[in-house]
Amino acid sequence: MATKAYDKSFREEVYDKVDAGEEIKLCMQCGVCGITCPLRDEMTYGPRQIWSLIRAGKRDEVMNCSDIMLCTSCYTCKVRCPRGVKVIDVMHGLAHYALQEGIVPRENTSKFGKFFWNSIYKTGRIDETEVPMRYSMRRGPIHGIFETLEMMDIGRALLSHKRMHFKLGPGIPPSKKIKGIKGLKKMLDKAEAMSPGKEA
Amino acid sequence: MDYFLYPGCSLEAGGSHYLASVEAVADALGLNLIEIEDWNCCGASLHYIGGTELQTKALNARNLAMAQKQGGHDIIAPCSSCYIQMIQMAHEFEEEPELAAEMNEILAEADLSYSGGLKVRHVLDVLFNDVGLDEIKEKVVNPLNGLKVASYYGCQTTRPYGEYDSVESPHTMDDILEALGAEVVPFDKGTKCCGSGIFFTEMENCAPLVGAILGAATDGGAEVISTACPMCQMNLEIYQSRVNKMLHTEYDMPIVFVTQLMALAFGKDFKQSALDRNIVSPKSVLQPSA
Ligand code: SF4
Ligand code: SF4
Repeated sequence: MATKAYDKSFREEVYDKVDAGEEIKLCMQCGVCGITCPLRDEMTYGPRQIWSLIRAGKRDEVMNCSDIMLCTSCYTCKVRCPRGVKVIDVMHGLAHYALQEGIVPRENTSKFGKFFWNSIYKTGRIDETEVPMRYSMRRGPIHGIFETLEMMDIGRALLSHKRMHFKLGPGIPPSKKIKGIKGLKKMLDKAEAMSPGKEA
Repeated sequence: MDYFLYPGCSLEAGGSHYLASVEAVADALGLNLIEIEDWNCCGASLHYIGGTELQTKALNARNLAMAQKQGGHDIIAPCSSCYIQMIQMAHEFEEEPELAAEMNEILAEADLSYSGGLKVRHVLDVLFNDVGLDEIKEKVVNPLNGLKVASYYGCQTTRPYGEYDSVESPHTMDDILEALGAEVVPFDKGTKCCGSGIFFTEMENCAPLVGAILGAATDGGAEVISTACPMCQMNLEIYQSRVNKMLHTEYDMPIVFVTQLMALAFGKDFKQSALDRNIVSPKSVLQPSA
């Protein structure tokens, strides 16, 4: 488990344990990625500067920076980076790794994303009613009721336009599972065990 | 012509009008869509929060393996996010033998295997390249009569591979819309991002992105925005009232799928084109030609 004591080798930590982490070795610091992010104005550093912070071993600055979860997955960097760095994959890898280390770069997106992945892992699909319902309850039932009321007009509109399945609440009725869910779970467990930073 | 269809989670819910209109168009064009049996989620654009890169690849490898069990047709993935995830796996499978071997090791856990070779296609690709503009024009019985449309591709429809269109200045949807009799208005936000999978949870940050897209379409004189991605459709449409509130704007812009406009132009009625499922109703602008 990585701790602050490893700060100096943070670069190695990223290469070893973060999905696509080694990609940044190819970077020539041209800055194209930094100006392509749609949310660049909301970011403190942007991808290029994050890569240099990693190279400089600045673990806290990188791991606690919300930029790593402000990637909209627009793929512009993937098209424009002159060195073919998989910028988007590194950003996603860093977000995943920060969460794994107990750091929450953006609270709402982190929570929603967890419910999102749980839906896939448990049923094989995303249940577009279940996931937002569970998300709205993330700060407890009272907050959940208020947040649900606030979203009521959108929910009602989706329901009446046949774009949402009706549910009384999370799990009522339960989400449908794909037939091959058992096999899929085994596959996902195996894939997790084979992923960087997850080996036992 | 036979194709596999990978509907994906969104087309069963928030994007149900996309699926209905894709089916209506396929029906009019005589394309036979065979749903991949027992398909699973592609991981979409938030996979990385709970899952690793390899897990997301595994999700997509399973769908390719399930399709291959049924035959060798090209796979149509109408949702741009599904399309990206799946085509990326299909590409990497051909280009990275080591990864391909890993995938088969993972697939073996579910007694599946994939030997490569399947093609993943976007709806725009199939319409433009397999069907073609000539046949589309021939099928039009109810031309859109100069309906002013902003052609919005978003991010994941043409990026990152540029398989069938330019990644920086795509034109396939523009050409299709014109073949249907629509007028494509000048619009410089055609490939700009709407916030994608993080729009809902980062609305304060992403509202200006949607605002800029709606604004540019309005300035161009558009009566509707046409899209080919269910996430773009959702973000631009169902949260339009929220965006208006946050930005103090008053947009009332219908966001329709290109396949809905096509179904209508091919003589399907409003309901068959699933246009009754749009929350910002396009009825008043489509009525004259409907
Ligand atoms: S665009 Fe590529 S080479 Fe340029 S700074 Fe970004 S990652 Fe580095
Ligand atoms: S995919 Fe992510 S990292 Fe790349 S340009 Fe878009 S927002 Fe930035």
